[in-house]
Amino acid sequence: MSFLRSAGEAVIGLFVGDWVQSAVVLLILAAGWFAVSRLGAPALVVLVALLAGQLVWFARAEARRSKRLRPQSPS
Amino acid sequence: MYQTVLVFGAAFLGSAVESTEALTIVLAVGLTRGWRAPLLGTLAALVALAVLVIFFGQLIVTRIPEGALKLLVGTLLLLFGLRWLHKAVLRSAGVVDKHDEDLAYRNTVSQLQGAAAGRDWVGFVLALKGVFLEGLEVVFIVIAVGGTGRGLPAAVAGGLLAMVVVAVAGVVVRRPLARVPENTLKYAVGVVLTSLGTFWAAEGMGASWPLDFVSILGLAVIYFAASRLAIAMIRRPALA
Repeated sequence: MSFLRSAGEAVIGLFVGDWVQSAVVLLILAAGWFAVSRLGAPALVVLVALLAGQLVWFARAEARRSKRLRPQSPS
Repeated sequence: MYQTVLVFGAAFLGSAVESTEALTIVLAVGLTRGWRAPLLGTLAALVALAVLVIFFGQLIVTRIPEGALKLLVGTLLLLFGLRWLHKAVLRSAGVVDKHDEDLAYRNTVSQLQGAAAGRDWVGFVLALKGVFLEGLEVVFIVIAVGGTGRGLPAAVAGGLLAMVVVAVAGVVVRRPLARVPENTLKYAVGVVLTSLGTFWAAEGMGASWPLDFVSILGLAVIYFAASRLAIAMIRRPALA
């Protein structure tokens, strides 16, 4: 049973590290789908820019979070 | 040709990273408790993984319409690649410790005490679990990378070759492959998978990329630049 649970968690963990980030990526894709159907290829530029932007944003946010959680050095 | 090389390369590199991690677990069990049980566990895991590849590979290629398949697999590949890339950025910026096979090996060995007599279920299950869970990532990479572009044979060949190369290296050196630049490989594969995922997801939406498959190179450049920007921003003194 624990093996199956580990396997299930491993499968979800393949795609989701941070639920908020995953939700944002899915929202960007949904908006991109809508935009591509209306505007065609030019919408791809915005789609890629948003996906690259969220990478920078979430990496920075996690770095800030872990800095806050890390104990201060005594120096 | 270009597409086949890219698919083969992505499957090979991604599978090599995961195979290295699986090898560390098998070596730790084999060198501390004997080889019979971990080798049987590895074999059982490989059979289960092969069944998954054959079943889902066939299902994907034959049953799902191409547009829906590209959107689904592209989305999953994008989420998967971004997860690797996100972690690679944090590792490169020094926020998260880099993956260390020697440390992983020592941790596994410390969990195992003494050689087992008779049937060693602990060794069997540990190897089975380790190889199966790491292998799931290999299966996903192979199916996702090869399934959408009709490049499944190239992806399967890349994945299999990576497993064989890592296994042979493990047999030869008989210790964890700590010299494999896993963190750099994960960074590179993260960029490639994110680019492939974006390409296929957009094609699944009905978009046509300028220059077709070659635009994946452009996407890789953009994601690489974004990741370097993230690393530079995290390393700035205000955040250090």
